[in-house]
Amino acid sequence: MSEQSARLVRTLLLIFLGLWLILTLFPLYWQFITAFKSAAETNRTIPTFWPEVWHFENLAAIFAEPSNFGALVDSFIIATGNTVASLVLGSLAGYAFARFPRQAGGENLAFWILSNRMFPPVAVLVPMFFLFDAMPWGTDSYLSLIILYLVFNMPLATWLMMVFFRDAPRELEEAAYLDGYTPLRAFVKVTLPLVLPGMISVAMLCWIFAWNEYLFANLFVGTQVRTFTIVIPTFTHGSQSLWNLQMAFSMVAMLPPVALFILLRRYMVRGLSLGVVKG
Amino acid sequence: MSVAEMPDWFVHKKLRGNLIVARWVPAALVGLPVLVLFAIVVYPTVWMFYHAFQDTNMMRLFQGNWSFVGWDNFAAVLSSGRFGDSVLHLMQYLLFGCVLQVILGTILALTLYEVVRKEWLRVILLIVMVLPMMLPPSIVGVLWKFLLTPSNGAVNQALLNLGLIDAHVEWFNAGVSLWAIIIADVWNWTALPLLIVYSGRVSLPPAVYEAARVDGAKGWLVMRRITLPMLKEVIAIAFIVRFMDAFKFVDLVYVMTSGGPAQTSELPAYIAFQRGIREFAIGEAAAYAIIIFAISAVLIVLFLKYLKKVLKAQGFA
Amino acid sequence: MARLQIEGLCKGWDFPVIDRLDLTVEEGEFFIVVGPSGIGKTTLLRLIAGLETADAGRIAIGDQDITTLPPYKRPVAMTFESYALYPHLSVFENIASPLRARRLDKAAIRQVVTEVAKLLRIETLLDRRPGEISGGQKQRTALGRTLVAEPQVFLLDEPISHLDAKIRHELRLQFHSLEELRRVATLYVTHDYAEALSLGDRIGVMGHGGLVQIGTARDVFMRPRSLFVAQHLGQPAINAVTAHLTGEGAALHVRAGNSSFGFPVVAAHAAALGRGGYRQVTVGIRPQHVKVLRNGEDAPGHHVIDGHVEIYEALGANGVLVADAGGVNLTALTSLERDFAHRQPVRLALQTDAVFYFHADSGDNLLL
Repeated sequence: MSEQSARLVRTLLLIFLGLWLILTLFPLYWQFITAFKSAAETNRTIPTFWPEVWHFENLAAIFAEPSNFGALVDSFIIATGNTVASLVLGSLAGYAFARFPRQAGGENLAFWILSNRMFPPVAVLVPMFFLFDAMPWGTDSYLSLIILYLVFNMPLATWLMMVFFRDAPRELEEAAYLDGYTPLRAFVKVTLPLVLPGMISVAMLCWIFAWNEYLFANLFVGTQVRTFTIVIPTFTHGSQSLWNLQMAFSMVAMLPPVALFILLRRYMVRGLSLGVVKG
Repeated sequence: MSVAEMPDWFVHKKLRGNLIVARWVPAALVGLPVLVLFAIVVYPTVWMFYHAFQDTNMMRLFQGNWSFVGWDNFAAVLSSGRFGDSVLHLMQYLLFGCVLQVILGTILALTLYEVVRKEWLRVILLIVMVLPMMLPPSIVGVLWKFLLTPSNGAVNQALLNLGLIDAHVEWFNAGVSLWAIIIADVWNWTALPLLIVYSGRVSLPPAVYEAARVDGAKGWLVMRRITLPMLKEVIAIAFIVRFMDAFKFVDLVYVMTSGGPAQTSELPAYIAFQRGIREFAIGEAAAYAIIIFAISAVLIVLFLKYLKKVLKAQGFA
Repeated sequence: MARLQIEGLCKGWDFPVIDRLDLTVEEGEFFIVVGPSGIGKTTLLRLIAGLETADAGRIAIGDQDITTLPPYKRPVAMTFESYALYPHLSVFENIASPLRARRLDKAAIRQVVTEVAKLLRIETLLDRRPGEISGGQKQRTALGRTLVAEPQVFLLDEPISHLDAKIRHELRLQFHSLEELRRVATLYVTHDYAEALSLGDRIGVMGHGGLVQIGTARDVFMRPRSLFVAQHLGQPAINAVTAHLTGEGAALHVRAGNSSFGFPVVAAHAAALGRGGYRQVTVGIRPQHVKVLRNGEDAPGHHVIDGHVEIYEALGANGVLVADAGGVNLTALTSLERDFAHRQPVRLALQTDAVFYFHADSGDNLLL
């Protein structure tokens, strides 16, 4: 390929990249300006691409209502709780699969665990609803969603942690045994630090999924516990959706995942590459 | 040594564990998570499998007087035009949603890595391109519904202003509404294959590229002969991840079109959801779920087998 | 008395790898296990370390039967072929690891580690990570980690195989001089027989699931019990020629098949061979016992044979010549100044009193 055509291709690709960036940013831009419009302006027949008046008080209005902030807290509790549970359980199982594949149930069990991610939600919804209803924690509680999200997050955590543990050389643990460490101490001293970046990437993936989940939350909780995803659609005036408030709130709710990604992107990339390339 | 000559101790060898960890430890380590998963999954699965063969609905469920109907539910699902249509919609979605996302994601990821030279710029662009994934799909649905509102949506207005169309596009008419969903989904999730392929590309061994450079290969040749083959597995996995999620796909349909207008944008999982949660035809919904899961499982297993064969042939697996 | 005693050790997976192996290493002895790659040397070490479970047999150190003890309870320290240094910890922490396991206090740890580091001449590297140091330095760090543990048995798995020649030489000297190693039973595994010959008090040649021969280095080299042993000690490998014996009594003659290769058997050997009535044998001649004669040179006491050059390589300190001598290929060692052309005729002098005779089937040394 000649130098010129190579440069042409690069330019085209850059243009393509640029177009995609515009496509990506446009809705986000729209979200941003809608957040500061008045409700009336959002319903204009001809939409405006720049707010006529910047209603910064939209945000204040949302948080004047304490239950809205409470929704963010609820989401946080559920996301964090589930992430911890998924990570712990996934690490235990992942370690066993990595170090003792045969005794731990072999490939079949591992595949079955992963396949759970493929279930259509309805398959889990109805039976779990009735089950939780009969349980002490009921359906409308933190615990219910924390447990429920395990169905999707734990298999992912198990699979990824298994790959990460496989990557931590067994010999290092063996060297630790010969140094006099029991398996548990050896694990903490040697394996855990090596696997930490991977754990971070797994935690991020689980957290973001749980944070953004809507369907189950909508059906199971609503009174005692409210996640922000089910609160946002309630911003209505009669039958009319208050787009500006919905967009404002969702922008605020977007901050934690985005912040997490910016802070931890290196782990994310490394984690994904290990999990996927070697998986 | 032939088998006949094996020493006695070998012939009568008992499988022993190792000295380091007691035999029960691996089982226990896996046991707890599996137990939890069992409780959370096996119970619904069993429940589902059972009720798929019953004529259960909400009332009968409460009264406990459902009765066995054999394969009736399955027959009803498989013979219904509604299901057939939804499968067609699913194909459409898979082709233009799933496949497109993976292709786009790959092109963007590789462009980002190869063509954008400055590290800081790459980081910023990556973050920007990943933003859509950070929004809940339900919100994405709402946002795009808002954007695509035919009468006063920003998209139509922008297209008008740019002179690309003469009249408003009726995004939510029959036949078009599915495209609206697909557009929203592509916007939302292309970032995931992008991230996966990008991570894969980052972790490819630099030594191979140096060798290629020494050999004088560059540009498209390197891409075609080195990068893409090495990334085959990564791209396949990105595809599987999106594929698996596609079969469960409910949020966007629920929020944007409710499957309409007139069921023209329904997807199988959504119908299952509708029938089960909204219309309480639980038995039928269970049959739906099983059928959907079966199809996706079979497809994925087939795909994985095919993938293994292809990779083995090229000396990768 | 920290003597290492192994009795009837057995281990196999799809097939037996270690079959009823017996070995005793005395306290303070430096015992080297030599053998080709894959024969089970590392398995032997891992069994002693406790990283593998024996299928049968007994391992004891001193009075303590450790056969069923987990590795972290065995008074054993091991260096791994891959060094197995903890990549996320500094060299200091790597060496200190066994001490931290015993929860010694900070001051004591610091003292011991710096002492050992000085001994191994890596005290300037204590703050570095394993990723930042060279192979030889990694090796010394791994060694330091075992020294610090003050075990009753040292296990060293091919410690210097992957280092370049110069460093290997340095470390060989260091092994010689390390007092600490000499105080305690040490089991050292290598595939390099030269290392074995140089370092070991006793060496054991591993093969067929066990130790085929145990003895001092000289012993094993000069009096190999079998063809296997003779073949695995020596570089280049010993010449092994399938032959039969003709003649009677004291006048035995070696003849190799239909070729013209042959030589008379030395009287002392003839007596032993005649007694056993052996006819088919494998003759073993070490390359150093095949001299390539210069023009006009003579070799009294040797049997001279004619041949022509097949391959000549200059390797290290010697030249290695492969010559076709009457239909049989012989490898000989020469000095480096010589030069040979392909198919050049040469005269080879065989030192017939240093020849080995092995049983054609079992490979046993018929002269022992």
